[in-house]
Amino acid sequence: MALLQISEPGESPEPHTRRLAVGIDLGTTNSLVASIRNAVAECLPDGEGRAMLPSVVQYAEGGAIVVGQDAMAHRGDDALNTITSVKRFMGRAVADLRDESARYNFTTPSGDGKGALKIVTRHGAVSPIEVSAEILRTLKERAEQSLGGPLYGVVITVPAYFDDAQRQATKDAAKLADLNVLRLLNEPTAAAVAYGLEKSEGSGNQPVAGTYLIYDLGGGTFDVSILRLTRGVFEVLATTGDTHLGGDDFDAALAKHAFDTWALTRALSPAGQATLSAAARAAKEALTDSDAATIKVNWGCGFDSSIDVSREKFVELTQTLVDKTMSAVKRTLRDAKLKANEIDGVVLVGGATRMPHVRSALEAHFGKPPLATMNPDEVVALGAAIQADQLAGNKSGDGETHLLLDVIPLSLGLETMGGLVEKIISRNSTIPIAKAQEFTTFKDGQTAMSLHVVQGERELVADCRSLARFELRGIPPMVAGAARIRVTFQVDADGLLSVSAEETTTHARAEVVVKPSYGLGDGEIATMLQSAFTHANADMQGRALAEARVDATALVDALTNALNVDRALLTEIEHAALASQVQHLRQLSEGADHRAIVRASEALNVASTDFAGRRMDRAVSTAFKGQSIEKII
Amino acid sequence: MNHFATFDLPPTFALDVQLLSSRYRDLQATSHPDRFVSATDAEKRSAMEQTTAINDAYGTLKDPVLRAIHMLALSGVDALDANDTSMPHDFLIEQMQWRESIADAKLKEDVDRLADMSEELAGMLQSLGTTFSYAYQGEHMSVATTLARKMRFTQKLIEEIDLALVSLD
Repeated sequence: MALLQISEPGESPEPHTRRLAVGIDLGTTNSLVASIRNAVAECLPDGEGRAMLPSVVQYAEGGAIVVGQDAMAHRGDDALNTITSVKRFMGRAVADLRDESARYNFTTPSGDGKGALKIVTRHGAVSPIEVSAEILRTLKERAEQSLGGPLYGVVITVPAYFDDAQRQATKDAAKLADLNVLRLLNEPTAAAVAYGLEKSEGSGNQPVAGTYLIYDLGGGTFDVSILRLTRGVFEVLATTGDTHLGGDDFDAALAKHAFDTWALTRALSPAGQATLSAAARAAKEALTDSDAATIKVNWGCGFDSSIDVSREKFVELTQTLVDKTMSAVKRTLRDAKLKANEIDGVVLVGGATRMPHVRSALEAHFGKPPLATMNPDEVVALGAAIQADQLAGNKSGDGETHLLLDVIPLSLGLETMGGLVEKIISRNSTIPIAKAQEFTTFKDGQTAMSLHVVQGERELVADCRSLARFELRGIPPMVAGAARIRVTFQVDADGLLSVSAEETTTHARAEVVVKPSYGLGDGEIATMLQSAFTHANADMQGRALAEARVDATALVDALTNALNVDRALLTEIEHAALASQVQHLRQLSEGADHRAIVRASEALNVASTDFAGRRMDRAVSTAFKGQSIEKII
Repeated sequence: MNHFATFDLPPTFALDVQLLSSRYRDLQATSHPDRFVSATDAEKRSAMEQTTAINDAYGTLKDPVLRAIHMLALSGVDALDANDTSMPHDFLIEQMQWRESIADAKLKEDVDRLADMSEELAGMLQSLGTTFSYAYQGEHMSVATTLARKMRFTQKLIEEIDLALVSLD
């Protein structure tokens, strides 16, 4: 295939004008903005020299919206109007939330708990997208002041394991903050860029090559990715994660320990909870360097509580969390078809990776200490800045450009009859990617088809995340199974999905950009993949039953129809026998015994063979009657 | 669509995987949407479409089973034809035995045995591939088709073991 030679379209027309581009790490706990200055990536500090902006937004009295440190100060005294960890609510419905559900007053515009959630504040109900946009706006202002001009574009990082709804929400937040998103970038990939390019500078002209595992334990999310670096190409081989596991869970374990030990009789108010969480977090951070720490809470009114925690106790309380991350590490290795000793280095990302027992677990598994030469809080933002600079067309000093080839974290599929998922794109496929699949109608004369797009690894629709539903209308009426509906899934370089469908004989088309409905059942994305493996067996049972029912129903419908139309082909006795067997199968298929359904279906198939033969004979003998020659040819 | 032509490679099963990867990266370097962030929407779309096609071709050729099926398709044989799924009887029996062994090892949480089986199947997959290559070169298409299907069955068993191993982590 001949390739057209195309000059870099993103390249600045004049060599000396640089487009101002920044990388933003929109974190659960803290957010950062970074840029390339004097050929070096650096985080941009605020007026007081602080790089990290707490991801906290207060909807204050008098109409002001306060972001960052100043908002954080009100986590205790104005808890309901001070939103923390909003990232956990992005692209989520109230039904998705676990323990956070008590923290705020949530509302759902659709009223059924299934639509996108909003948080009720004294400024009214705000969506997580709006809250995130406030954080982005603050960082944008900081960057424009610091760089001295309007931003051309940004790269915003997202957890690799974010699903389509969460990515879309992040992009919407950026739009709301009036930012031009050059690309959504996976956090571990961003970290790899920061490490990869830093190392290549250190080792002269020798490009870095090797396979790296990125262990990214943030405030609220956990990701593992394995990347291969070859001549400036970063290729993600596999990614796994948990969007509900992070440093916050370690704080929560400590807080629960304190709460249980103090044997407090009353449940905590939101304010009390916030104060206790902050104290637990401080203790966790202290335990990184010292062997013991104290959780101390002043409840007000002269009443306070305190408890000493040793590092040993902390490890005991949280080892299951670390084990959970190590299971994900092993799973990612397996997905990438690699063994632990084939990993050249383990890169630590996220403040929570400072905990000594996290590091020792990794060292034990890989036989070498993880790489920690860069600040784990900043490395994602720095990588995003490098990527933003390149995407904006600012060539780095030596003219070298790198390329990122990332993957989709969760499989995409369509609902088929019986609540089953037909996988269309498997997880860990390199993006952009498109796959087409043909489906057909289930009933005679069916003119519309409802498509339900889901994301996840389980076999039953009910266990996957519902992304969108759309309808394809105007299918020409044909017999069941004759229509050919070709559904194409396209995932772009941001990991965002669009779906189109076409009936290939008539070219009836439908197209949707997947705007998620957030219609989740038990939908906890974090546990989806895990449970796919744990419940593989239960799934198989459910799948077998669903399949048996679909087949049985199709058979019952077809035969009922045939018995009506071609009654003349059967004797009275034959007709009665078949009709009673049809009735029997109809009853069985309402039950849950898939083996009985399969057996009865098979029996009915055998019993109706002769009838089918007679129908076929008659059809053949009438087929050519009254048809023109052209049609037969 | 001939995926070998995309990478300017001869349509052989014994593919130089290193060369394939390196051609793949070269193609990506020129066509990836990251190179067209500031371009027009039409150019962006075309970059996405081109990269999508390259990813599809690479994904197909990288995987030995998909590669074999693609080679058969190039010769006009649909190895996945749902109307013709006949397989040798003894092979199907063997498949059932494998499945039983995997289920048994999973039940007993015998990780070592699962790993051993996975390795044995990987070896089988490789030798099936070698035989496929000869059959295809010799234009024994029906033999090649059966071999490609056997490869697919074998790969499914390996995937099943992977799932079992993950669930035992």
